[in-house]
Amino acid sequence: MGDIEAVKPFPDSEEMEISFGPQHPATHGVLRVMVKLDGERIVDAKPIIGYLHRGTEKIFERETYNGAIPHTDRMDYTAAATNNQGLVGAVERMMGITVPPRASYIRMILAELQRIASHIIWLGTHALDIGAQSPFFYTFEEREKILDLYEEYCGARLTLNAMRVGGQPYDLPEGWAARCKTFVDQFPARIAEWERLLTTNRIWKLRTVGVGVISAESAIEWGLTGPPLRGSGVNWDIRKVFPYDHYDEVEFEIPIGAHGDTYDRYLVRMEEMRQSVRIVQQCLARLPEGPVMAKVPKVIKPPKGEIYFSVEGPKGELGYYVVSDGGANPYRLHVRPSCFINLQALPEMVRGQLVADLIAVIGTLDIVLGEIDR
Amino acid sequence: MSFWGFLASVVPVELAQGLGVTGRFFFKRKATIQYPEVKLLPKERFRGMFGFSEERCIVCHSCAKACPIDIIHIADHFEEVEVEGKKRKKKVLDRYDIDVKRCMFCGLCEEACPTKPVAIWLTTRSYETAAYERNEHLYFNKERLQSWDGVRAYPGVVTPAKGQMPNDPTGGSGEPER
Amino acid sequence: MANPWVLFLLVPLVKIVVILGVVILLAAYLSFFERKILAYMQIRIGPNRVGPRGWLQPIADALKLFVKEDILPSRAEKFVYMLGPVLVTAPALVVFSVIPFGTGFKLFGAEVTPYLTDVNIGILFILGVSSVGVYGIILGGWASNNKFSLMGGLRSAAQLVSYEVPMGLSVVTVLLMASSLSLVKIVEAQRNSGVWFVFPGFIAFFIYFVCGVAETNRNPFDLPEAESELVAGFHTEYSGMKFAFYFLAEYANMVVISSIATVLFLGGWLPPFPNWLAGVWAAPVFTWIPTVIWNAGWFLVKMFAFLFVYIWFRGTFPRYRFDQLMALGWKVFIPVSLVNLMAVAFGVLLIGGSR
Repeated sequence: MGDIEAVKPFPDSEEMEISFGPQHPATHGVLRVMVKLDGERIVDAKPIIGYLHRGTEKIFERETYNGAIPHTDRMDYTAAATNNQGLVGAVERMMGITVPPRASYIRMILAELQRIASHIIWLGTHALDIGAQSPFFYTFEEREKILDLYEEYCGARLTLNAMRVGGQPYDLPEGWAARCKTFVDQFPARIAEWERLLTTNRIWKLRTVGVGVISAESAIEWGLTGPPLRGSGVNWDIRKVFPYDHYDEVEFEIPIGAHGDTYDRYLVRMEEMRQSVRIVQQCLARLPEGPVMAKVPKVIKPPKGEIYFSVEGPKGELGYYVVSDGGANPYRLHVRPSCFINLQALPEMVRGQLVADLIAVIGTLDIVLGEIDR
Repeated sequence: MSFWGFLASVVPVELAQGLGVTGRFFFKRKATIQYPEVKLLPKERFRGMFGFSEERCIVCHSCAKACPIDIIHIADHFEEVEVEGKKRKKKVLDRYDIDVKRCMFCGLCEEACPTKPVAIWLTTRSYETAAYERNEHLYFNKERLQSWDGVRAYPGVVTPAKGQMPNDPTGGSGEPER
Repeated sequence: MANPWVLFLLVPLVKIVVILGVVILLAAYLSFFERKILAYMQIRIGPNRVGPRGWLQPIADALKLFVKEDILPSRAEKFVYMLGPVLVTAPALVVFSVIPFGTGFKLFGAEVTPYLTDVNIGILFILGVSSVGVYGIILGGWASNNKFSLMGGLRSAAQLVSYEVPMGLSVVTVLLMASSLSLVKIVEAQRNSGVWFVFPGFIAFFIYFVCGVAETNRNPFDLPEAESELVAGFHTEYSGMKFAFYFLAEYANMVVISSIATVLFLGGWLPPFPNWLAGVWAAPVFTWIPTVIWNAGWFLVKMFAFLFVYIWFRGTFPRYRFDQLMALGWKVFIPVSLVNLMAVAFGVLLIGGSR
C-alpha cells in the first residue's frame, strides 16, 4: 500500500506483526486484528473475523418467520429488541399488515430502551478499554434496571424475543409504564454523573480527541452508519429519513458531531441516550389503548416477492432483505449488519496511529462480533 | 488564552471532580447481591425451566411445530374410549421429551399451546438449571417435566396438595400459591 | 549483653526479619485493601469469602500462587527469565532498610532504633537501589519471548527512566531545605523548623507524588501492564511464584514511594499539631502507649493516606497514551521541577534552611 511509507518514521526499521485477539481483553469478543507495527506506530491493521460464525442466515431459511425471531436476538446480543423490530417490520410490510398503534408504541419503547442499554455497554467497555474502570460498573447498574423492565415485560433479559409478526405477543404488565417512567426520569441525572467523570477529563480528552478520525466523505464511502457516521457530521438516521413505527410522531433530535474523531462519537452517543429518554417519555405519554396484535393468519406466508427494510439500530442501520417464495419459510433472509460494515473502516481509522489508539477505535466503533459473524 | 482559561488548564479541576464522583460512590449502597445466600425472585413472566401438565395436554403437536430448533419430541397413539356411550378415538401421549440443553428459552411453545391454562409453560420462575452432565440431566421426559425439584404451577393454577379434596379450590394450603 | 558481637549481629538480624515480615505482609494486605476500596468505589463488595469479611484473602492468594504450576515458555531465555522477578523484588525490599519508622527507644537497657540503619546518604541509596528494579522489568519482558511482554518492558524502561528525573529534582528541593541526605535527619529538620516540607515545597510534593505513581506503573500511568492493550504487559508469560514476585514488588514499591513521601514531605513519624496533641497524649488514658507505637502509628496513617489516593486514582482515571506520558514527563514535569528547584534554592538562600 502506498501510504505505508508516508507514516514510517524510520525507513530502515523493522516491522513487527502482532495478532491482537481473538483472545485479547479489548477486542470485544473474538475479533482478531493483524497489526503491523513500527515500534508502537500502526503501519497497517487488518481485521479478521469469523470466529463466531453460526450460519444464522442459513438457519433462517428453515425457520418459520416467527421462529426466526429468537435467532435474530442472538446476532447483536446487546440489542435484541431492535433486531426483532427489523425482521417483524420487514415481514409485516411484505404482508401488508398494519400493526395496532399500541403495539407500535410498545415496540418503540422497547427499541429506545434497547438503544440506551446498548450505548451503556458501549460506554462501560469503551471507558474500560481506555483505562477508566469505574464507569463500567456505574453503567451496568443502570443497565440492570432496563433488563429488569424487559424481564417484567417479556420474561427474558437479554434475548428478548419480544416482537411477533403483526404486533406484540403480550400487553404491558400492570404498573410497567409507571416503572419505566421512573427509570427514564432519573436516567439523565446518571448520564450527567458519568459525564462528570469523563467528558471534561483531560486524560479522556487526550485519549479520544483527534483519534480515529474519519471524514464525512470517507465515512459515506465506507458505508458507515449510526454514530460513526453521525460523528463525522452526516445527518443520517433511519428514524428520521425513513420513519417506521411512529417515529414521525414523536419529537427528537439527531445529534451530529463535527470532527469525526472518537471524542465526537462519544458525545454523539451520550446525546443519543438523552434523546432516547425523550422518545420513551413521549411514547409513554401517548401510549394508546387497544389491542396489541393485528389479525394475522396462523401460519405466516408472505406473498411471493422480496423486500428490504431497515431500522436504526443502536450501532447503525440494521437491514433485513427478505425473499419469499410464498411458503412458510423465507427463501432467503439476508441481514445488513451495522457492525460488520462499520468495522471495515478500522484500518483507515487507525493507520499511522499508536497501539493504544487501536483499542480506543475498536471501542468507539462499538462492534458486536455476534452480528459481524452471524 | 485568558487568565482563567490558563488556570483551568493548569489546575486539574476536572480530575478532582472525577475523584469526587468515585469518592461519593465509595459511600453509596452497594449493588452486589450475594447469590447463593440471597436470591432474586424472577418476575412473573420470566422464562425459566419448563413445567408440563399431562392432563391438560391435548397432544396437538403445536408446541413441537412452533419450536424454532425442534427440541420437543412428541409420540402418541390413538385409544378407543367410551364417552357418553359412544366410542371415540382419543389421542394418548406416549412420550413428551424436551432436550433442554439445546433450548433457547424463547417461549414460542408456550405461546403456541391452545389449551387454557396452557399445558407447557416456562413461567416456573426457576433459573437454576445448570447440571454437571448435559445429555441425561438436561433431557427431560414427561415425568421429569412434571416433577423436577421446584416445579411451579402455571400462574393462576392451583396445584392439588397431598391429601387434598378434589374440589378444594385453595389447593389445601388455605390460599392460592404465590 | 556483655559480648558486643551479640548486639552487632543479633539486633540487625531481628530487625531485618521484622521489617521484611511487616513489609511483605503490608504488600499482601495492600492488594486486599486495593480490591476492597476499588470495589467500594465501584458499588461492589469485593472479596468477602475467605475468612471473616475476606480478611484471609491475601493469604489464600499467596498460597494459590505458591502451588500453581510454574510455566516456562519453551522459547524463553531461561536464566534471564528467572532473574527478572528477583531483580524487581530485591531492590524493592532492600530500600526499606533505610526508611525510619520512628525515633530510637530503650529496650532492656539498650538503645534500639526502629529502622535498620541510618545511612548518611539515605535518599541517594534509595534512588540508586530502586532504579535497579527497572532491569527486572525490561529483562523479564525481553526474556519471555512474547511481543506483548517486550513492548511492556520497553514502555516501562522509557517511563521509569524519564520519570526518575523530575522525581529526583523534586527530592533535591527537600534536600536543600533539610541540608542532609539522611532520612532521619530530614525528619528531624522538619521537627526543628516546625513545619512539614509539604508546605514550602508543595509543587515538589505534587511532582514527586505524580512521578511516584508513574514509577510504580500505577493508573493512570500503568502503560507497561495496560491490560486492554498489552494483555498483561511485561508479566504476560509469568505464572505462579514468579508472577507473585512481580506482584509483590509492585505493591512493595507503592509502599516505598508512600513511605518516602511521608518522610520527605509529611514529617515522617511526627504527629501533626504536636503541641496540641502532646496535651492529649499526656492524658492518663494514653500514657501506656509506648513512644515507638505512637510514632509508627502516625507514620502508618500518613502512608496509608497516600496509598488510598493511589487506589483512588486507579478507580477514577483513564490511562495515558505512551507518547502523551512521555510528553508529560519531559515537557511539563522536568521544566516545572527545574524552575521549582531554582525557586526553592533562592528561598533557602534568602530565608535560610534548617542548620
